[in-house]
Order: sequence, then C-alpha cells, then structure tokens
Amino acid sequence: MSAHPTNFQGSVVDALREAIEREIPGAQASVSGGGGHFSIEVVSAAFAGKGMLESQRLVYSAIAHLMKGDAPPVHAVDSLKTRTPPAS
Amino acid sequence: MRDSGGAFARLGALPAAVLSLATIMLSDALRSQLSTLVTDHPVVLFMKGTRRAPQCGFSAQVVQILDALLPSYETVDVLSSPELRDGIKEYSDWPTIPQLFVNAKFVGGCDIVRAMKESGELAQLLAAPSVPLAAAALPTIRVTNAALAAFQAALSDAEGEVLHLKIDGRFQNDLYFAPREANTLGVEADGLTLFLDPPSARRANGMRIDFVDGPSAGFKIDNPNQPPTVKQLSPSELKALLDQGAIELFDVRPAHERAQASIAVARSLDEAGQKYLFSLDRNAPIAFLCHHGMRSQAAAEQVLSEGFRNVYNVQGGIHAWSESVDPSVPRY
Repeated sequence: MSAHPTNFQGSVVDALREAIEREIPGAQASVSGGGGHFSIEVVSAAFAGKGMLESQRLVYSAIAHLMKGDAPPVHAVDSLKTRTPPAS
Repeated sequence: MRDSGGAFARLGALPAAVLSLATIMLSDALRSQLSTLVTDHPVVLFMKGTRRAPQCGFSAQVVQILDALLPSYETVDVLSSPELRDGIKEYSDWPTIPQLFVNAKFVGGCDIVRAMKESGELAQLLAAPSVPLAAAALPTIRVTNAALAAFQAALSDAEGEVLHLKIDGRFQNDLYFAPREANTLGVEADGLTLFLDPPSARRANGMRIDFVDGPSAGFKIDNPNQPPTVKQLSPSELKALLDQGAIELFDVRPAHERAQASIAVARSLDEAGQKYLFSLDRNAPIAFLCHHGMRSQAAAEQVLSEGFRNVYNVQGGIHAWSESVDPSVPRY
C-alpha cells in the first residue's frame, strides 16, 4: 500500500461510507482500506436492473468529491462491488 | 497502429498558461480530440504508461487482458498530460484510470473489464463484427505475377482453404492457408482473394506482395503503412552510396576514437554536426557509424524518433569498414 498525501481531516473510510449511504437510497456500504486505496462493497436495491457500469457510476458519483483535486483522500478504489439485497 | 500518447503530443507543447485555461473548461478542443480518437480507433485504452510499460497495476491488468484478445489496439498514456488525465475523466464521467472504449463507447475500468473477460462478454464485444471497417476502407493490395503463380500452385493443393493474410501491430506478416476464418474480409488483389481480419485490413492498404525465386525463395512484402525502421547497411553498400554522394554519414564516436580510425567524409556528431543533421530534410538518407555498430544503432533509432525516415546503421561499424572496404583504416 503506497502513501498518498492528502490534507483530508478525519476518517476517509467513514466519509466514503456516509457519502454512499447518503446518496444512494437504502444503500449499505462497507468500506475498508487506507493510504489512499480503498475497497468498497455496496448493497442497494437501486442497482436492480442496472449493469455493472451503471451501478459503479452511481457509487462513483456519490464519492466523486473525495476523488477530485490534486491530493484527494481517495487515490484509487481497488475493488468496487455492487449487489442488490437478497430477495426475502 | 502504434501504442502511443502521440495523439496528444500537440497538447504537451502548449505553454502552461494556455493549458491551465484549458483545464477549466474541458475545452471543446480537447473534448473533440477525445471524441475523434475514440471514433477513429475501434478499441482505445486510456492508461497510465504504455502498452509495453504500464505504470500502474490496474492499467497493466487491462493491457494483459486485451493483449490476449487483440493483436493491436490504441493506447493513450494519460501521464503524458495532466489535462488529458483530467479531461478523460470528465469526458467519460468516470473517476479512475484505466478506461476502455470500444466503438466510441465507454466500456469501463479495470474491475468491469476483468468481470467482462471472465463472463466472456469482452471477447464477444471485441470479436463481434461491430468493430467496423468502413467499406471505403477496404485495402488495395498488389500481387505481382510471380507471387500470383506461387499462390495459385499452393491453392490447388489446399482444398476448401483460402489464403489468409495477418499483419500484426509490429507489421510482421503471416500468409497462410486455412478454412475461411470468422470475421475476415475478402479482398480482391490482382486475380487473387486474400482474407484479412479488420485490424490487418487497416494495415494493408497499398501493400505489395512479390515472390522472389532462387536459393532464398520467399514472399517479399512491402507495406507503406509500416512505420520507418532503422535499415542496415553493409560497409560495401555504404561505400557505393558515399561514392554517389547519395547519403550523409555521421560518426557517433567520441573524438579520441575518431582520432584512431575514421572515414574522411563522415561528420562527427558534435554540436555543429547535430546542427547540420537537424537542418536536413527528414527524408534525406542518413547513416550512422561507430566502432562495431551498436552505438550507431542506438543513435539511428533516436533520430528515427525525431522524424527522420531514411535512417541507416552501418553494420559492423568502422571495424567492418576496415575489413571489407578500406584496410588502410586502423582497427582498434
């Protein structure tokens, strides 16, 4: 894991999870990682009927503010999984 | 098709002030450049580094996946320009690199490409006839009578098979008989039908196929689309060209080596020599000489990348010149 400097204050993991859960209706996100690299898994009914590209776009647009700029807190999303909740 | 960030070389040359202005807007110019790029090439990968030297693990993974499926595709090194790096993210509305475009459509990043490879979707997308070749782009290929005769003799033995021509990204040619392969185009060439896949067809226009008889019999192929390479010149061939005044010779060795052995007409590559070299027409035949032909090869390749098209390396260097042309030149 390489170091990517950022002046972001606070927990990036929490910021990612909160942003995703705020922007995507009913989403549950689990985020792990550090040093600029993160793995994200999101479960939401919002992905139903959407392809991988559209689903990932939803997530990326929710966290776009954390990936922009010269020294963003999120340098790379190493793994991004999107799933719909299991039918109950 | 070379892998290069070449399409954006122009941007790199702009003054910084112009560039920073451009970033603010994802300038229309950049947007239209990107759009032309992904339209002109069926498969374009925006990546960090080049196909042969990826600078990031994700880019490397996608290159590896594509290499297994495609003989060639266009890559663009986003590290060559910050404007490009930001611009492509805005263009595709996707925040990470690499980014794959097929038929001008954004496919996805590393994750998606990997998933599509595993599901087989990627092979389908890339193999489908959707990687189009405009009818107008069918190549013109010339086949000499000697080559035609050779092919026809072979064809009469190859029942149910047709002649395929493959030209890979390094312009290595492969001519072979096989049952017609899927997704090949039939190209009429002087009474012969050749079958080419679309990437080969794109590289074939204007090529000429000849057959040379004799002890080293074989097909001889000239392809004007092939990017120029350093050509090899034997000392005696060099002598003939020098006698005709048909070539400029540059000696890349340092002064102390030139003092030991040299060819009178050769220019040294000192400051004045370099200045002279770059004043020459880019089509002018130029040759490079060193002790044994290694340093001159490196110099020749560098000059090729500066846009010179008729670049020769003297094989074996001044040592070989002394052996086969002028024994009065000392060997050291």
